[in-house]
Amino acid sequence: MTWISKAITLFGAVLLGHACYSAQEHSALQSFKAATATLTSSSLAVASLPVDIAIETVIAIIVILFGLVLGTRPLRPIQWRVWAGKIEREGEEGFMDNDGEVNKDFVGNPFKFLETRPGFVDIRKQRKEFASWVKTSSAQ
Amino acid sequence: MAQVPVQTIHRDPQLFYWILLPITAVMILTGVLRHYATVLMASAPKKLDQKTTREQRALLRGINVRGNFHTLAKPSFDVRRDALTTAYESGAYLKSPENRGQAPPNPLSDPSSMEGMMGMMKNQMAMIIPNTLIMSWINAFFSGYVIMKLPFPLTIKFKSMLQAGVATKDMDPRWMSSISWYFLCIFGLQSVFNFLLGSDNAASQMAQQMGGMAPNAGQMFGPGVDPDKQFLAEAENLAVIEHYSVLDGVEQRLLEGIKV
Amino acid sequence: MSVEREFQIAPIVQEAVVHNSRTLLNLQSLTASLFGVGAGILGLESYSGFLFYLVCSLLTAMLFYVVRVAPTSLASGTGTGGGGAFDTSRYFRSQVEFWTGGLMNGLAGFILTWTLFYGLVRA
Repeated sequence: MTWISKAITLFGAVLLGHACYSAQEHSALQSFKAATATLTSSSLAVASLPVDIAIETVIAIIVILFGLVLGTRPLRPIQWRVWAGKIEREGEEGFMDNDGEVNKDFVGNPFKFLETRPGFVDIRKQRKEFASWVKTSSAQ
Repeated sequence: MAQVPVQTIHRDPQLFYWILLPITAVMILTGVLRHYATVLMASAPKKLDQKTTREQRALLRGINVRGNFHTLAKPSFDVRRDALTTAYESGAYLKSPENRGQAPPNPLSDPSSMEGMMGMMKNQMAMIIPNTLIMSWINAFFSGYVIMKLPFPLTIKFKSMLQAGVATKDMDPRWMSSISWYFLCIFGLQSVFNFLLGSDNAASQMAQQMGGMAPNAGQMFGPGVDPDKQFLAEAENLAVIEHYSVLDGVEQRLLEGIKV
Repeated sequence: MSVEREFQIAPIVQEAVVHNSRTLLNLQSLTASLFGVGAGILGLESYSGFLFYLVCSLLTAMLFYVVRVAPTSLASGTGTGGGGAFDTSRYFRSQVEFWTGGLMNGLAGFILTWTLFYGLVRA
């Protein structure tokens, strides 16, 4: 989770906690009222929740939901050709978690071995490199 | 039309602190404990000798060739199929070729197979013992209390289950006793464990029961299975494959894919 | 062309499928408990509670789609192949699994927290 999603989730949790406490106090007050009111007048109807608490609850849920969704891990394409292209282009960065750490199950580019196969080795380039290496070492 | 009045029962708020919270806390802690106990008790995979490994890998190779034949060109596939089939039929990969054709040994007498059964027993025990303990604990301490009301109505049939220990005839089946809170915890705490322990935990009984039903891969090489018969069956499977390659008609597909 | 042949030509990364569905499942089981808290505080009963759960789960899937699926799918253009704007084929094998897969999974957690908070608030 990034800090922003954490902050949003925390803020929503505080809101939700406050709404829960308010609702609990409200119902406690109502039941107390009802208990005293039975002596004097006819019984009160079961009081519904005040609308501000309901609104607060709904907003809190939406805020937490948003924070949690922001905190999910990035998805991976399921088709091999899309996935392989992503690995080739982004390398390790494609496996980053939200924390900026490389995921644990990243085992390296699965297509690396293709490029080191003998058929794909650029032998002329290696010869040139060898020649230049010989030159520089003999010049010293 | 007389409306049925809503039943209200005034309960002591202390019931929450002394029944609901302890049960919930104990359930969560038991789940965590079970998870770590399973992790600790998991026995390391047994070392196999060379012959056994060869036998199993040879069979796996056949299965893999059968599953991925479409990536091979026809000549390569034919060569592999011929080699594997002759080797299977001659029994070249068998662990003990002299035992061919004999009945497999009784799995109960084989000491190596006993170990696998012990592992299963351990898992079952780790599941059953805490459950019975907690259930008898709840029954001994908390039976006979009505602690909560379900937010949705139920039919009368649930009454005996939800209100065990509270023998009242007229009570709405929505009221529930402590033992039914325990059942609710069993089913509902999965998400809590998911959050606490990561998604592949061993805390939940539900997940274990699901896992027990699925056939696991180790079964294939389990005791009491005749490898020779498996090899022959695999040879037959390989023989009936009608080969084609994914590269058949690839030019056509490529041309279709190019949009001008 | 048969379905099997189709899969052999365009193979699917099993690990990525598992990773994606697990991410979605974790989110849904976590949020299901959250909705239970909300329903309990609001004091919803019977059908309205389950309706609340249904609506909220769909909202979760929607948000998840907007945040995680839509940007990359639409950018790469692979997502717009079949089902228009709500296509999840880049990350999930079936649409049904994406939109309703977590419903049954989170239901038990939802009922647990719903009951708990309903009882707590209406003590």
